[in-house]
Amino acid sequence: MEMQKLRRRRLKGSPIFPKKMYAFVIPAFILFLTFWIFPVFQLFYYSFTNFNGINYHFDFIGFKNYFTLFHQGTLINSIKNTLIYTVLIVVGSNVLGLAVAMALNMKLKGKTFFRTCTFLPALFSAIVVGFIWSYVYMPDKGMIASLLELIGMDGSRFNVLGDFTWALYAIAAVEIWKSFGTTMIIYLAGLQTVDESLLEAGKIDGCTEWQLIRKIKLPLISSTITINVVLSVIAGLKAFDYAFIMTNGGPGKATNTLMYTIYKIAFNEQMMGKASAFSVVSFIVIILITISMLIFMNKREVEL
Amino acid sequence: MKFKKLCALSVAGAMILSALAGCGSSPSSDTNSTASQDSSAASDQKTAIVTMMVSGTEQPNDFETQILPKLVKEKYPNLHLEVTKLPDEQYYTALKTRLASGECPDMILVQPKYAGSNSVLGLAKAGYLAPLDDLSVLEKVGKAGTDPFTYEGKVYGVPEGVAILGTYYNKDIFKKCGITAEPKNWTEFLDVCKKLKAAGVQPIVMGDKDSYVMQFGLYQIAANQIYPKNKQFDDQLTTGKTKFTDKDTWDKVLSMYKTLYDNGYIEKNSLGLSAQQAIQKFVDGEAAMTFDGSFNATALNAKGAKDFERGYFPMPGNDVDQPIYGAVAMGAGPAIYANSKHIAECKQILEYWLDGESDLWKAFADSGRVVVAYGYGSDQTNPLFKPFVDLYAQNRSFYWCNQGWPAGTENEMEAQFGSMIGGQGTKVADITKAMQAKFDELTAG
Repeated sequence: MEMQKLRRRRLKGSPIFPKKMYAFVIPAFILFLTFWIFPVFQLFYYSFTNFNGINYHFDFIGFKNYFTLFHQGTLINSIKNTLIYTVLIVVGSNVLGLAVAMALNMKLKGKTFFRTCTFLPALFSAIVVGFIWSYVYMPDKGMIASLLELIGMDGSRFNVLGDFTWALYAIAAVEIWKSFGTTMIIYLAGLQTVDESLLEAGKIDGCTEWQLIRKIKLPLISSTITINVVLSVIAGLKAFDYAFIMTNGGPGKATNTLMYTIYKIAFNEQMMGKASAFSVVSFIVIILITISMLIFMNKREVEL
Repeated sequence: MKFKKLCALSVAGAMILSALAGCGSSPSSDTNSTASQDSSAASDQKTAIVTMMVSGTEQPNDFETQILPKLVKEKYPNLHLEVTKLPDEQYYTALKTRLASGECPDMILVQPKYAGSNSVLGLAKAGYLAPLDDLSVLEKVGKAGTDPFTYEGKVYGVPEGVAILGTYYNKDIFKKCGITAEPKNWTEFLDVCKKLKAAGVQPIVMGDKDSYVMQFGLYQIAANQIYPKNKQFDDQLTTGKTKFTDKDTWDKVLSMYKTLYDNGYIEKNSLGLSAQQAIQKFVDGEAAMTFDGSFNATALNAKGAKDFERGYFPMPGNDVDQPIYGAVAMGAGPAIYANSKHIAECKQILEYWLDGESDLWKAFADSGRVVVAYGYGSDQTNPLFKPFVDLYAQNRSFYWCNQGWPAGTENEMEAQFGSMIGGQGTKVADITKAMQAKFDELTAG
């Protein structure tokens, strides 16, 4: 009797969330469609035109934009730079963040103070950080160059932002410096969920400190690792701020990331069509990377 | 309960209304009310509301947003000018959207030739601008001023003044190193650099990390090496008659500029210095010269670690037996939107503003925002700019190269030049080739 009642109720819809409630989604849904989904589809449309952002009498030019992108090598260069940058960010900010989180999870005097210090860089805006660091990296008179002089090395030879090989690593280092605090906080939250009794049991069984980390802590925070890695991957693939603020994509094209190149093509060269094509390609690249990442990470989580 | 419902309803209603108002309000409907209040006591004559949008940063007692509307109102009581000033990037975005939606302000700021996304040629080609050929002030502006604003024989904008590229130098260091006269040709210029370097002074500092500063030096050389020989060089690029790869044109300009890097005359770490840091170094007396524009005069004259007297001369990119030319370009200026309902009123304002003698012109010249080239104020320019204004008056100056190119060509030049001085194995020929390829790509679109 009770079961029947329940079934009937389910057929009618839940009393807490009646079907007509869906109507309330419509306004938000319309806004979402007009300001988000529709423009994204327009991007595909514009990528087949030679639209310049001003003149609406544009022509359809088929796949020409895509062909030029592959021919010119801009695409390959940008993808390469972005991938290097992403790998650096993911490894750097996660390893550093995890290490600091573990250190700050111990019983330590002034723990809160250190936690605050580590998180401090994350509170500045990218513009401020980029500006400060361009003075840290400044040749001759910057902070690092002066320190090098102080220990008797030739500081005038230190010029990372002007160096074709090092510029990308230099701006990645800044991003790591800014972001590892956030990563650390998430790891810290994860580590605090690890049950103390498991660690004690491990210790009684004679685990070394490394074994405790490897066999107990890491498996238990694997979902935190996934979140952090995915967040850093997204941040890395979206890299624009520091390439724009600190190096202007230079020297040469050494720090042209995907997003920076799109910006340059769209707003400097005013080739909205080509920029749209570039965005479409980046979209596909990013989707592919994210999907393979998620599949890999989910498998890992289960294994751990 | 009922009360709560009523409250919620009214709040929701207010929100929807305000959202709608935000979307739908055109500038004129907003301002109608204030304007009618202004002239409530005045005659029944209809007040025309003219809107204008310009780019830049608003300053205290700003010329465009405060002085201009006030003086226009004084002269023409039934003209109400509304000026919006937006930072560059926002201005471009706002302009594009408003043009696309057909709600463009009556007057907008345009840049000469192909410069920027508000380039006069780009906008005129798309049919967004009204021709201004019947303006009488055009005669005062002169052909040199109107040429960069001409598309298919019609003038579509009026330059407000000129902007200069030159070489700022430290007079004290020059004196100390025994350099008495400003160099007058390329050989003398190299000589000066050599003397400075021998005396242990860094001759030139540039902030090439902000690669746009490369244009400051290169365009001065181009004004001496390319345009005196062929005034039409940039126009002929479009027809294919000239090419960046032509011998003794850009290859010469680029290799001349490269000499300064090869000999260490320009600071060797320049690729790691920002434009601002370079200015700081110059102001602190750590380098004798820097290439920069009239638009940065305030920053370059600011007090630094050392006090010294500044000089400003056109970089002599000319050969020994050739006269010197300056890189003096037309600045941006107002243009009128083709579908404006107030074209006649706009023209009235421009006639008054740019006539070289009116109160409005005087206020404009005194604001010191641009270097005015005619009428009141042109005789009392900043003494630093005097040599350039003289060159301009003698018709011995040329516009900045990028104004003649579709935007983006100069970025390619900068990136490639950076690769060359950064030791990436890029050759001069590679740069000219890349510039030509970019130019072709941009003009084809």
